[in-house]
Amino acid sequence: MRAQTPRKPLVSYLQPYLLIAPTLILVLMFNVLPAIRTVSDSTHRPARGLNAAGKAPEYVGLQNFHDLFDEAHYMGARFLRTFRNTLVFALATVVIAVPLGLLLALLLNHKQPLLGLWRFAVFYPSLLPLIGAASIWSFIFSDSIGLANAVLKSLGHPGLNWLGDRNLVLLSVIIVNIWKQAGYFMIFFLAGLQNIPRDIYESASLDGASDLQQFAALTLPLLRRTLLFVIVISFIFAFQTVEQLQALGEGGPNDSANLLLYLIFQNISERRNWGYVNAMTIVLIGVVLTFTIANFLLFERDESN
Amino acid sequence: MSFYRIACLALLLFAMTAGAALAQDDIVIDFYFPSATANDAEGIFQRYADMFEEENPGITINSVFSGSYTDTRNTILTELQGGGAGPDVAVMLSIDLYSFAEEGYIVPAQTFIDAMADGDAYISDFFPALMANGVDEMGTVWSIPFQRSTPILYYNADLLAEAGYDSPPTNNAELVEIAQALTTDERDGLLVPVAGGFPIWMYQSFAIAYGQNIVSDDPTEVYFNTPEAVAAVEFVRSLGTDLGVGPAGGAAWGDTPVAFLAGQAAMIYHTTGNLSRILDGADFEVGVWYLPSGPAGDDGAGYGSPTGGGNLYIFDDGSKSDEELDAIWKWVVFLSSPEIQSDWGATTGYIASNATAWETEPLASRAMEYPQYGVARDQLQYADKEFSSYATITIQGIINKTLESILTGESEDAQAAMDAAQAQIDGILAEYK
Repeated sequence: MRAQTPRKPLVSYLQPYLLIAPTLILVLMFNVLPAIRTVSDSTHRPARGLNAAGKAPEYVGLQNFHDLFDEAHYMGARFLRTFRNTLVFALATVVIAVPLGLLLALLLNHKQPLLGLWRFAVFYPSLLPLIGAASIWSFIFSDSIGLANAVLKSLGHPGLNWLGDRNLVLLSVIIVNIWKQAGYFMIFFLAGLQNIPRDIYESASLDGASDLQQFAALTLPLLRRTLLFVIVISFIFAFQTVEQLQALGEGGPNDSANLLLYLIFQNISERRNWGYVNAMTIVLIGVVLTFTIANFLLFERDESN
Repeated sequence: MSFYRIACLALLLFAMTAGAALAQDDIVIDFYFPSATANDAEGIFQRYADMFEEENPGITINSVFSGSYTDTRNTILTELQGGGAGPDVAVMLSIDLYSFAEEGYIVPAQTFIDAMADGDAYISDFFPALMANGVDEMGTVWSIPFQRSTPILYYNADLLAEAGYDSPPTNNAELVEIAQALTTDERDGLLVPVAGGFPIWMYQSFAIAYGQNIVSDDPTEVYFNTPEAVAAVEFVRSLGTDLGVGPAGGAAWGDTPVAFLAGQAAMIYHTTGNLSRILDGADFEVGVWYLPSGPAGDDGAGYGSPTGGGNLYIFDDGSKSDEELDAIWKWVVFLSSPEIQSDWGATTGYIASNATAWETEPLASRAMEYPQYGVARDQLQYADKEFSSYATITIQGIINKTLESILTGESEDAQAAMDAAQAQIDGILAEYK
């Protein structure tokens, strides 16, 4: 072993900082600064009226948030409806797409003919660019020329206005999301399942445990971490949904299928709404963060018991 | 590694000198254009740029395809709000005027027209209805009509003839009668594309035909809860409910011409921007007529239509030299000249925006061969300005949401919903008075 030099040159003190500097600068510029700016802008009202470009915004405290939760305000009406939609959308994804992904993983975890093809078929939607896939779905859902209605009509049903009926359009968007996500979640569950040693199941079978008992007592507890991860990302993905709305009716009639991030995107171009846009962003981040932390705490505590 | 570095450095130096050389010799005009048609807009604009550069040595046109109208508007707003350069000239919706004027990003075309030797002749050649959205309440011209359109009625003339109708409807009672006669289990009698986020444009046809446009020349006034405005939306809603000639809630924009071409709709409302595509794609006789959206007046007709489409805007924050501005204006005059308007109209179906263009080839013979091209031009006598006000984007959003909630049956009481919307709109516009 070499003896340590008593005095390090300056450069070796600086070296670690120099190495992380590029990343640090990028994170500061594109994450930290915008985040601070968002918080600050959410408490300001941009200048309105003629030649607003040169005027400074006015500090309004929490007024923007207050307006967002006011049903009679033009932005509040849209925000409240969209917020409710987003919760329904996220919940539906978690409740349907996650178990579906798990079911598909269980089905495709056994040796069977054409296994690769089945797995590929289920995973395939995740590989498609969402905007393209959603455009195909918008054709399927089309009222007059769509595939879904052609099938319904051949069965004697008059057909549904999938993207035009305010009571249906959120469901249509959810269907596309489940189709898109279930296969993606399946990949995580498959990986989780393959990490569980086979011999546990063998000894369970010898002890006379049924398939269902094995699933409840072995598979599910051992998949807990995967399950947690999938639930968290499915929830976050749900809150980040934008692309498919662009192709599937742009939020539906009177925002009946609009989601939070898309509403933010829709209102970003007019200066007068910047305060609301930033306030909505804070709400969005707040919800996702709360959910993520709560979920981790619950599962982690459970784990340690 | 060192080779890579040298190569990068060389490339950088080359780019810098090339840029400098270009800057010394040429004025470069950044021109943004959207496309709302299926045509090869990029190819067409490249052809125009080549023609222009040949006529005007020393000026280079940098054409940038900027997506949809909405993408174009948002791209430019984002660039300018972030302190970027933005375009020199852009084609944007004629109704985007106040969004950019109230921010101080664009300059009026009036200054340049006043400086022209034959400015009056140049501007009076444009159809008055197409000028309406480019002029402010003081009469100052801000933008020049370029790719203009209106909605028109497309009808399947073969189907109408089969049912015993020799001519298209001229008012909304006849419209309903024919639509009902042509509705079957497999076919809609009439599709009005008010579903899909932008009902306001089609709706304006009905409001105007019912006798009251929802906007005036004053950008601080909106008339959304008048008896005419309410009657108009109730009529549109009834097409999908009581009258049963189309889907409840209205048809989607993109599906409508497809359904028409497939014989699944006997009549549709759609933009003239699709005229060439529909004429080329149909295997039946396509009739085109004014929009018979309102009750019969003294002459028995009930026509009304908004205008639509894009104008040419000039961007300047005060930093551009006279030389640059001259070059920019030359490009605007070139694109709005009868020769280019004639070519553009014949290629796309957009309404060539000045009268002389219709006497210029190739549009003159195209319009002779297909009289359908002239219908949209002649309908301009019944046309009024498209919706535009201060805070256009927000107010248009309120109107669209309200119309959607009425048309889909969510708000049964149209008057109450429109009163509530009007109150929100008045609250916003009060900031500009």
